[in-house]
Amino acid sequence: MELTIEWIEDVMTLAADEEGQVLDLRDVRFVDPYGLLLLDLLIRDRAECGAPLQVAWPVHAPVVGWMRAMGRYDRIDRTAQLARRLPRVSTALQPIASIADEAAITRLVDGFDARLAERYPLDESPRRTLVRIMIELFQNIPQHSNATGDAVDPHGIAAMQDYRDGLVLAIADKGVGFRASLSLRGDGPIETDSAAIDAAVLRGLSRFTDPGRGEELMRIVRMVRSWDGTIAVRSGGALFHHDPAQGGDLYDVAPFPGVQIALCIPRRVFGIEEVDAKGERRFNGPDE
Amino acid sequence: MNRRSFAVSQFGTRLGTRAEGEAARARLLAAMEELPPDGQLVVSLDDVEVLSGSFADELIAKSYQLLLSGVYAERTMVVAAPSAELAEGLNDKLTQRNLAMLRVDGDDWSVLGRLAVPHRDTLALVIARDQATAKALADALEIPANACHQRLRRLVELRLVLQERIHSTAPRTQYLFRSIL
Repeated sequence: MELTIEWIEDVMTLAADEEGQVLDLRDVRFVDPYGLLLLDLLIRDRAECGAPLQVAWPVHAPVVGWMRAMGRYDRIDRTAQLARRLPRVSTALQPIASIADEAAITRLVDGFDARLAERYPLDESPRRTLVRIMIELFQNIPQHSNATGDAVDPHGIAAMQDYRDGLVLAIADKGVGFRASLSLRGDGPIETDSAAIDAAVLRGLSRFTDPGRGEELMRIVRMVRSWDGTIAVRSGGALFHHDPAQGGDLYDVAPFPGVQIALCIPRRVFGIEEVDAKGERRFNGPDE
Repeated sequence: MNRRSFAVSQFGTRLGTRAEGEAARARLLAAMEELPPDGQLVVSLDDVEVLSGSFADELIAKSYQLLLSGVYAERTMVVAAPSAELAEGLNDKLTQRNLAMLRVDGDDWSVLGRLAVPHRDTLALVIARDQATAKALADALEIPANACHQRLRRLVELRLVLQERIHSTAPRTQYLFRSIL
């Protein structure tokens, strides 16, 4: 079992379908930042709704150690005594960071960039592009996640991890989501979450009618596609997923508030060689 | 022409959020006010490492839009950027706003934003000649005079070219079109 861009929807569906049941993650062998953030928000959301999610936590030591190093067990749960006794996995790259105040975003982006640069000598041009992407995605949380004022706590978070073949950057919140935000444009309600994702991601609309606003997410999707990367944009009950093998499409998924985004960018984009699978498998995977 | 440089790097080297760009705009507009009525502000991206689309929109594109509204008399604005990549976010935002600006890099220049190819050709000819009448430009481009006038009107609207009245005899006023570089 894996909590990744490809598999986290199984967990979201399970959590939505089986309220009151234990979410059994003991067999989880791999987690990526997107899975980690969604799990974090899911647990938080359910607790705030007064229906706490019962979780049987992963027991595989590398997974637990990585989750601990990423700050997972510093944040919410009171049950992870076991996790605190396990060593943190040193390969963890960028732990979960909170995004709330727009004034702190440039500093936060510098921190993400510095962690990556400490690990690799990156080509300067893609490095600058990644910084631009982070600025745009991170600032969307204070700018848009509570656009209607209806979210009690949008709880914006981000994390990043490198793998043998790519870099995964995840940004997530549990705010009002695209549909409610775009409905503020004043050109009528948006009927479905799929239509809202289509408008924001594929047509570049924002909640503002000012022509200078919007289009950044659309450009980021195009950029990731041009890099042969993978991108997932989830909001409400809809998901846009693009990968080089299957192309891009919209899917219906278990409803969850806010917007959650993951980018998987191939290492070669940054001029970093891919690691031989025999030399270093995914850092929190079963081979460690 | 009275040119003054405005260093964007005074706000940092990695720029930035929309709110930061909005806050910086007041300083750029103040610099614009301080120019003589025919002055030019050169918005310099030297020493800037990253310029996000959001920051560029708030600081530069919105200021440029204000300039085109006529509140700053005959003043002009260009961007000095050492690479096209650095101005990419600004290029996107100007395109969204259906605007165009000149980017300079030493003796080279290019257009940022949205400008149709025939208008770019006409602009290039004005810059190459430094100044010319519409008739001379139409002849050189081998296009009808009214087509040339339409192109020049758009270039003047975008403050990429300045026009100066030279004759005002009936039935038609004549203008000289001048490069802003």
